Amino acid sequence: MNHKGITRRTFLKAAGGAATALSASGVFGFEEWKKKSYASAIEKIPTQCQGCCANRCGIYAYVKNGRIWKIEGNPKAHNNVGSVCPRGHGYIHELYDPDRIKQPLKRTENGTFTPVSWEQAFREITMKLNLLIMDHGPQSLFWLQYPLANAPLVFRFMHALGSPNTISHGTTCFVARNGAFKMTSGGLPDNDLKNSKYIIIIGRNPCGGIKLYQMKDLVEAKEKGAKIVVVDPRHNETAAIADEWLSIKPGTDLAFLLSMLNVIINEELYDLEFIENYTVGFDNLLDEIIMYPPEWAEKVCDIPKEKIYRIARELASHAPTALIHRGYHGAYGAGYINSFQTARAVAIVNAVIGNYERSGGLFMPYKAKLGSLQEGGHPAPGIPTAPKADGAGIPGRYPVASYSNGISHAVPELALAGELKAGFIYHTNPVRTNPNPKRVIAGYKKLDLLVTIDCVISETAALSDYILPESFYLERDDSVDTVHGGKKAQITLVQKVLDPMHDTKPLFEIIKGLSTGLGVSRFFNFTQDEYNQLKLNPLGISLTDLKREGVIETGEEWKEGFKPCKTPSKKIEIFSDRLEAWGIAPLPRWREPLVSPDPDDATSFRLLHGKQSVHTNAMTANIPILMEMSRHYNMIRLWMNRERGERLDLKDGDLVIVESDIGRGEIAVKLTEGLHPSAVWLPSGYGVFSKYLHTAKNIGLSYNDFVPTYFDPIVGHAMTSEVIVRVKKV
Amino acid sequence: MENMRQKKKWAMFIDATKCVGCHACRIACQNQNAITPKEYYNRIEEQEFGKYPDYNRRFFPVQCQHCDNPPCVTVCPTGASYKRDDGVVLVDIDRCIGCKYCILSCPYEARIVNEEHGYVHKCRFCIEFVESGESPACMTTCPTGVRVFGDLNDPQSEISKIVTTKKPEKFRKDLNTDPSIFYKKV
Repeated sequence: MNHKGITRRTFLKAAGGAATALSASGVFGFEEWKKKSYASAIEKIPTQCQGCCANRCGIYAYVKNGRIWKIEGNPKAHNNVGSVCPRGHGYIHELYDPDRIKQPLKRTENGTFTPVSWEQAFREITMKLNLLIMDHGPQSLFWLQYPLANAPLVFRFMHALGSPNTISHGTTCFVARNGAFKMTSGGLPDNDLKNSKYIIIIGRNPCGGIKLYQMKDLVEAKEKGAKIVVVDPRHNETAAIADEWLSIKPGTDLAFLLSMLNVIINEELYDLEFIENYTVGFDNLLDEIIMYPPEWAEKVCDIPKEKIYRIARELASHAPTALIHRGYHGAYGAGYINSFQTARAVAIVNAVIGNYERSGGLFMPYKAKLGSLQEGGHPAPGIPTAPKADGAGIPGRYPVASYSNGISHAVPELALAGELKAGFIYHTNPVRTNPNPKRVIAGYKKLDLLVTIDCVISETAALSDYILPESFYLERDDSVDTVHGGKKAQITLVQKVLDPMHDTKPLFEIIKGLSTGLGVSRFFNFTQDEYNQLKLNPLGISLTDLKREGVIETGEEWKEGFKPCKTPSKKIEIFSDRLEAWGIAPLPRWREPLVSPDPDDATSFRLLHGKQSVHTNAMTANIPILMEMSRHYNMIRLWMNRERGERLDLKDGDLVIVESDIGRGEIAVKLTEGLHPSAVWLPSGYGVFSKYLHTAKNIGLSYNDFVPTYFDPIVGHAMTSEVIVRVKKV
Repeated sequence: MENMRQKKKWAMFIDATKCVGCHACRIACQNQNAITPKEYYNRIEEQEFGKYPDYNRRFFPVQCQHCDNPPCVTVCPTGASYKRDDGVVLVDIDRCIGCKYCILSCPYEARIVNEEHGYVHKCRFCIEFVESGESPACMTTCPTGVRVFGDLNDPQSEISKIVTTKKPEKFRKDLNTDPSIFYKKV
């Protein structure tokens, strides 16, 4: 942000003309300031927020005097409906961050980085890679990314080389939930919160781990009289607008759900017509669910049986305009050994009350069907024959893990075992987002070649042999995106708002540059604009129109009525034959978390984590305006139940030592009435240790410093809440 | 312009029961006004109630209340702080000598000192922006629709309807500052 000169008073729009000048700047004379201000044309360019989270909100970028001024939400965009979150507002400042990578860098023998030309970087990287592929095969190469609109280009690149190992960060985030919905209803539905009358949200906090349209819809539903119940060990920010907060014992959400099913089935509150027509395996459920009455569940999950009875009845009585939110990371994204089955239970409760494809229930969001490169005369490379090195989607290994997400935190093991030899990291940071950084560093150091593509030097980039600077999202054109799908499909894109400040390239150009030396340039024989227009062709939309509008709706509007599921039976699979064939419980059955705190040890807690609204993972901690929020509001603290804290002789703000079997750290404690006594809660996004990130480094802790390395046997997720820590006063 | 201004009476309604404390308003405002990370025009106060597990918290957004009886204007020795006919309280930073009397007098702690130049500044209701037909940045970015801004002199405006029908409260009414911001509290 430019804080000098006339930008201190930047309200006047040249186009407005009639705006009133109120006072002069303290630096410039009034007349001079007025002249400059009036002269400064303001450009408003539609684009997409990109890089600080996965929502990819539709925005307008305002440019004044050749600099980014601010962004506003595009009201048409489904994911943000006109709003922008604090992270999005803050992230624009990354453009001017002195910590940005300004040209390609190569690691020197003494561990520092030296600038090199793009030509040299491409030449050296591809030479090394060609040799590694020759010696070890293309399956020894991986690409780990935070998946954005360009992800299909990455798959194309990797497939052209013959490697199946394109991986996302998913196993540390959401894969247990996605896998469960895929097995049950054939894909991840959306919640029609706006039209719902009864909403249960379990271990998900759309007001902290921000989902702007959901925040808007929750408030709208509430104004129309909906009841909102938040089930979370912590009084999260969504609980502040909910009617009821149930502080469940961490890791026991499955018991709560099974018990709700018990009530709904015992009292015949289900939708029999829906069940008979659109589900399979309900009868199998009847046999097992008698084991889980609320009288049992209250002892497991610390929610009184009366509340479980009442909430199950209330949910069913409002059906089909009632739902259990599809969730995300917290309770059943990647947290526990029972996360996959917990998410299955969420899908099944929604099914038995018959809310799929109903207004106020769950529905499959519409996505635009884009055109392919093939139609434009650019044949696709074949799908590699080698299996995924991480075992994702392979029966006998991780059968429910998906091909496109893979198992990100398996990379260090596979590198240490010599199966992976070289890798690209694109806009993610496994050293900070995977459990147990010491193990991750050891693994990544074992690679013969590591190339990171990013805007700043993260912990992972700092280990790399080469760092290729990607242009910031405001400086580049990207691929047509379908992320904004709801009751109507939308297409959006990132388009260049300003010329690159440094010697950086968009990902598309980086892939092109690499493909030449790797002998696969024939697969990238087109421009970004040609690629985008080919994608748009079947929709009858021109790239020019999309660039002008930023967001365009396409296709038909969602209507109520069941649509065949992408499951073998085309129905919702309460009982899953596929799971049974793989030796996995075909119905959700109660399973204790893998580890639990010692009830006889006053210092023993489960370590939970979650997002604060002002940060995303470790991506935003280096943005000064966002880190200042953390400081100002004293957010960088470990939450602990007040009574537990007082038993340890702690006062609010005291420093504590947190220790697990693998890690140790010091942090201030926040004593609160808003947390289950058995857990401590650490906000994610802190604990940056890259010496190249000057704002963020050495502030706070990351939960990953304490979490051992686990692989869930079904989906392969990291089970990042299966960790017990001991907390003591310093 | 003078005539136009006399016809307006800008006011804001803040429904604190909808606020989830995401802080988008503060950063949108900082960008809009091109101010530094440490200087801010609005803030959110967190209030807690009850004992575990019967516990709740609320978020309470605070900014300059644009009082009709503004103590900051009364105490300002140079006339830098002034009240416009349209209800907006502003600081003429060329007249401000940085004495900070206004900061001491403001019961809402809504004013800050510019670190670089020493003058006092604060929320301006994005007035130039508003006069060109737009709305304040804190309002337009809010995902839960906490704020409503408009002209109290226009009986058809949303703000007029809210003030008439919902009988919102004023913050620290006992102080007789008569704010232009109306609240729905817990």
